[in-house]
Amino acid sequence: MNDEVIVRLEGVWKVYRMGRRRKIEVEALRGVDLGVERGEFLAVMGPSGSGKSTLLHLMGCLDRPTRGRVLFEGEDVTRLKPSALARIRNRRVGFVFQSFNLSPTLSALGNVELPMIFAGVPRKERLARARELLSRVGLSERERHLPSELSGGEQQRVAIARALANSPDLLLADEPTGNLDTETGQGVLSLLSETNREGVTVAVVTHDPEVAAIARRRVRIRDGRIVGGDDV
Amino acid sequence: MFDLLGIALRGLLHRKKRSWLTIIGILIGITAVVALVSLGTSMQLAVKRSFEELGYDVMMILPGELGGGFGGPASFGASFEIDVDALSQVEGVGEIGLMYYASIYVKASENEGFLDALGVSENIFSFFKVEQAAGRRFAPGDRNAVILGVEVAEELGLEVGDTMEIEDRPFTVIGIYSADSRLDEDAILIPLATMQDILGTRGVSMVFVRAAPGYRVEEVAKRIEAFLYETRGRRDLSVQTMEEVHEVVQRALGILGAFLGGIAGIALLVGGIGVMNTMYTAVLERTREIGVMKAVGARNSQIMLVFLLESGLMGLMGGALGTGIGALLNFAAVAAAKAALGARVLEYGISWWLVLGVLGFSFLVGSLAGLLPARAAAKLDPVEALRYE
Repeated sequence: MNDEVIVRLEGVWKVYRMGRRRKIEVEALRGVDLGVERGEFLAVMGPSGSGKSTLLHLMGCLDRPTRGRVLFEGEDVTRLKPSALARIRNRRVGFVFQSFNLSPTLSALGNVELPMIFAGVPRKERLARARELLSRVGLSERERHLPSELSGGEQQRVAIARALANSPDLLLADEPTGNLDTETGQGVLSLLSETNREGVTVAVVTHDPEVAAIARRRVRIRDGRIVGGDDV
Repeated sequence: MFDLLGIALRGLLHRKKRSWLTIIGILIGITAVVALVSLGTSMQLAVKRSFEELGYDVMMILPGELGGGFGGPASFGASFEIDVDALSQVEGVGEIGLMYYASIYVKASENEGFLDALGVSENIFSFFKVEQAAGRRFAPGDRNAVILGVEVAEELGLEVGDTMEIEDRPFTVIGIYSADSRLDEDAILIPLATMQDILGTRGVSMVFVRAAPGYRVEEVAKRIEAFLYETRGRRDLSVQTMEEVHEVVQRALGILGAFLGGIAGIALLVGGIGVMNTMYTAVLERTREIGVMKAVGARNSQIMLVFLLESGLMGLMGGALGTGIGALLNFAAVAAAKAALGARVLEYGISWWLVLGVLGFSFLVGSLAGLLPARAAAKLDPVEALRYE
């Protein structure tokens, strides 16, 4: 097992059952092999419906494969209990979503605190860390604001701060600039690059070549299969 | 836990109107429970106090049988004759008090009409607590003397020393008793012999017997029963110890209380279903947020706790407000009873035990109602929850 690989997918299939009686089967992933190396900045490129979000969910232990194995830091997570998966998501992984997905009832500060609350970090330490992260993404002045009082770019920066709260090894971003204008998107992308330079492994899924351009490695996915990339 | 409570509170505050409506549902249920249960307690305490004042060494001889349930004496007010001298010879019989109950015609200056009157033996005051507001009690030889309840005295405009007519005979007011007495304040007392004379009877409505010192009440009651059967040849009178009567009355009040509590429980059940409905809606509404919480590493148990705390808090809020309103209703009921019926017919029925019990119970109802919705939230698939629009 390569110590330098954070997460590895081996022959991974993901079949969703859709429809009212769950009779329609959708094969989102069809035998994917992919490794994400520690410290890299990976972009997974593909059109919508290609299975790239599913891929991201599996890398982040948010979902389990129908077939195949997912190894997170060498551990097969396929058969782990939900609580163990939650622990990995909490401590090792940070998610950034296209639609920000901030909790609407919590302030910017509260949102950044959230993963630390679930991790049981004491309040004082938690607040200090959340303030530090908000200042790092340039939102110190807005810590008391609710998501509805923030612009899209600001919300995404709060989301990045939240993703970094428990110092994860792996930051996963799903179309992080999809809902932002170009300029704001650039700001978010440079924040991701900066995070990567600080040592956090970053994987982004996107259909936007501009986003993929800032990554150090690119793979392409189509119809649930890896179809190419820099190293494929 | 404390931090999860904070998240739960934010959830509640975020949908203020619906939270309040749900809380009001619980509030109504709890108010009903507290008001009705405390009313039952009020009655029980009042009954207990009056029996304690009468004393547990006292027995009553009444016509008919002591019924179970709501019954009590079957023919209250019916009169019977009894050989008091022979009764006093029964072993263990101490003091004997006699009472005749009737409605009689009364006239004073411009007022006239029927009043509840008690013909009593002189010693009746050792069986009943009667607070003298003015004048004196009966003395041997009193014939046309009357003691008035304070309300009657006010209505008729009479004071000690005044005269009035009872069944066309002149009477002198010798005393007035206050509202704190264990008698209705709109009744009047006259000597038993005078009452019997007026009505042309030698009967009584009720005999009070105190057990002589050193005798057990139950034993004396049995002897009196035997004596009555021997002398009368039939069981038309019953001997009731205060304990028996107290038990019967308490049992009746207990059943009444349980019945009222049951009705209140239905109101609370409806409130609980309201909480459940609100929580299911909240879970549905916040499906995406639940997905996010899972994505950032919340365990199922933590998500469940957040929603349980939310519903529990709603229950607790409704419980606290409902207890307050229920307690106010109890105070109002006690005050109203005093105003309407005089004397202290009810005692305050709110205890710390009731308050704490109800608060705990309302939190429990809220949490239980939230259990299924919270479980549904915890079991959501994170990916599907995130995708939920």
